[in-house]
Amino acid sequence: MTHSKTSSIDLATRWLVLGLLALYTVYNVGPIFWLLLSSFKGRMDFFTMPPKLFFTPDLSGYQAVFGVGAAKDSASAVGVFDSLVNSVIVSVAGTSLAVFFGTLAGYVCSRFNFIGKGDFMFFVLSTRMLPPVAVLVFYHLMFARLGLADTRTGLVLVSIFANVGLATWIMKGFFDGVPKEVEQIAIVNGYTRMYAFLKLVLPMVKGGIAATAGFCFIFAWNEFAFASILTTTQAKTLPVKISAASGATGIEWTQICAAGVVLIIPVLIFFYLIRKHLLMGMTFGVLGRR
Amino acid sequence: MTSEPMLQLRGLKKSYRGKAALRNLDLTVNDNEIFALLGPTGAGKSSTLLASAGLIELDAGRVGLAGRDVTDADPGSRDVAIVFEGFNLLPVLDVKDNIAFALRSPAFRESEAEISLRVGRTAELLRISHLLDRDVDTLSGGERQRVAIARALVRRPVMFLLDEPLSALDLKLREGLRAELRQIHRQHRSTMLYATHDYHGAIAIADRIGIIDGGVIQQAGTIEEIYRLPANMVVGRLVGSPSMAFFEAGIEDGHVVVKGARQRIPVGEFGTVASARGKIVLGVWPEDIEVGGSDLADASLGTIYAVDNRGYERAIQVETSAGSFRKVVPLSVPFTQGDACAFRVPKGGGFLFDAASGRRISQVEGNG
Repeated sequence: MTHSKTSSIDLATRWLVLGLLALYTVYNVGPIFWLLLSSFKGRMDFFTMPPKLFFTPDLSGYQAVFGVGAAKDSASAVGVFDSLVNSVIVSVAGTSLAVFFGTLAGYVCSRFNFIGKGDFMFFVLSTRMLPPVAVLVFYHLMFARLGLADTRTGLVLVSIFANVGLATWIMKGFFDGVPKEVEQIAIVNGYTRMYAFLKLVLPMVKGGIAATAGFCFIFAWNEFAFASILTTTQAKTLPVKISAASGATGIEWTQICAAGVVLIIPVLIFFYLIRKHLLMGMTFGVLGRR
Repeated sequence: MTSEPMLQLRGLKKSYRGKAALRNLDLTVNDNEIFALLGPTGAGKSSTLLASAGLIELDAGRVGLAGRDVTDADPGSRDVAIVFEGFNLLPVLDVKDNIAFALRSPAFRESEAEISLRVGRTAELLRISHLLDRDVDTLSGGERQRVAIARALVRRPVMFLLDEPLSALDLKLREGLRAELRQIHRQHRSTMLYATHDYHGAIAIADRIGIIDGGVIQQAGTIEEIYRLPANMVVGRLVGSPSMAFFEAGIEDGHVVVKGARQRIPVGEFGTVASARGKIVLGVWPEDIEVGGSDLADASLGTIYAVDNRGYERAIQVETSAGSFRKVVPLSVPFTQGDACAFRVPKGGGFLFDAASGRRISQVEGNG
């Protein structure tokens, strides 16, 4: 009796959990699915009520955002290809440099004591707590004066500033997980600390570097506030471009959806490529101590 | 055995963030000896080894190694090898390359043929030849420490620094590997500084022992010397199994009187007593204490607080009005918990310590 009672409770709990998970999935995946669906809808299907789940796919949105096919030279085409290139360049360069400097700084903060280390670490973290709005105006003035306004170089710099603190903190954590005996063994045996860092310690934290790069890339790729203020025409990134995607005939919803899909795809590919390292990165503390 | 000093530490001082780890530590390790550094966690064992290897920056003191002052010398130029307790193997290298690691460094660069020969020979010595091509994360704890010891041995350094090398292993493995280390030492003549908190491990492997606590060497010598004349109460607490028994005592009319005990011992039995003022403590090696039933003449009384049956013998803990002590007795002595226990300190079987400083104030050597 007791046994069947507990198992029926277990079953109920199980269904409840499954139901909640299903709800959560719909909540998360639903909008993305709708975005994907809408990006293939023509102008007519887009506003049909009730919304259509089955319709003749229309590639005009994608043609328009890439400026190819029938939509080429069309006045209503928004054309996001340039801003996609901008986004890729700014995100990749910004992430690479932020991770590079963050790795070096994280190692120093993990292994060496220096005066004001605690304050330094807090300062580094505080750069991430700062709301961008607080400094936007000053960046705008400064970049205008330096000739960095509306340039990719300027956005790469902003991206480094925004992410190097986060990268330092995450990498410090990963270096803390590497026993200091690694360097001690190397040094006692006549190797240099540089050798130990490059050849022994860095390979041990490569999962951490991948995880850090993942975080930084997401932030850089999604960055909107700075890019929207600091760019006007040349250096517009994809999020900024999408937010203002109006053509000659009003707001181009299908194109916005198509551009949105284009915005999501690189992130998916990137995470697919580094998924193993992300997992390694998360369990590193356990693996490293074995 | 020669007694040329191999390692000489003089007045080492080191603090970490205001916390002193080494307070004026002096230590000499002779050539070709195994010197065990015995002390509790946080006593300064690791710091002593790291300082000898040059891996920490000292606040003060000099380090002499193989007849030269290496205080300011690079760790890599000191020609020492170090084995740690836990983390030793480099996960990015396989077993063979971990052992060869020491030979490939810019400081000791050897030809690949020579490296392969020496790695093979060392692996054979430690019976890990079958593991050479394995990844280190597939090894057991005992295999890992063998590989770590092999990496230390392969270079034939002037000195080995072993920081609790066996402590992470289970008892059986530990005893086996300890005996092997001793064997290797006998065959290859080497100097080892072996830090451990394990008393049995220390006396089993070492030629001489240094008792370390509070960042200073409390006493150094052979175990027999330390038993014969322990320098202070710290030494008494760290040496022996069970360790030294201590009784609160005082001096009355030229006799040492243990608090609440019947026995009166003439002070003369302890030789010249440096300072008889203030509180004193009578310390006795448990092996010297006589215990028995009520028929034991001139004895004091205590109570058996705990009995730990070891199969072939028993360890008893006796509560007395002057303090408690532990002692191993044969199974034939029929004590059980709660029994009354008579005990007596035999003639010449104890040391007097100053209660405040812990220093020994009696001069006569114990029975040994």
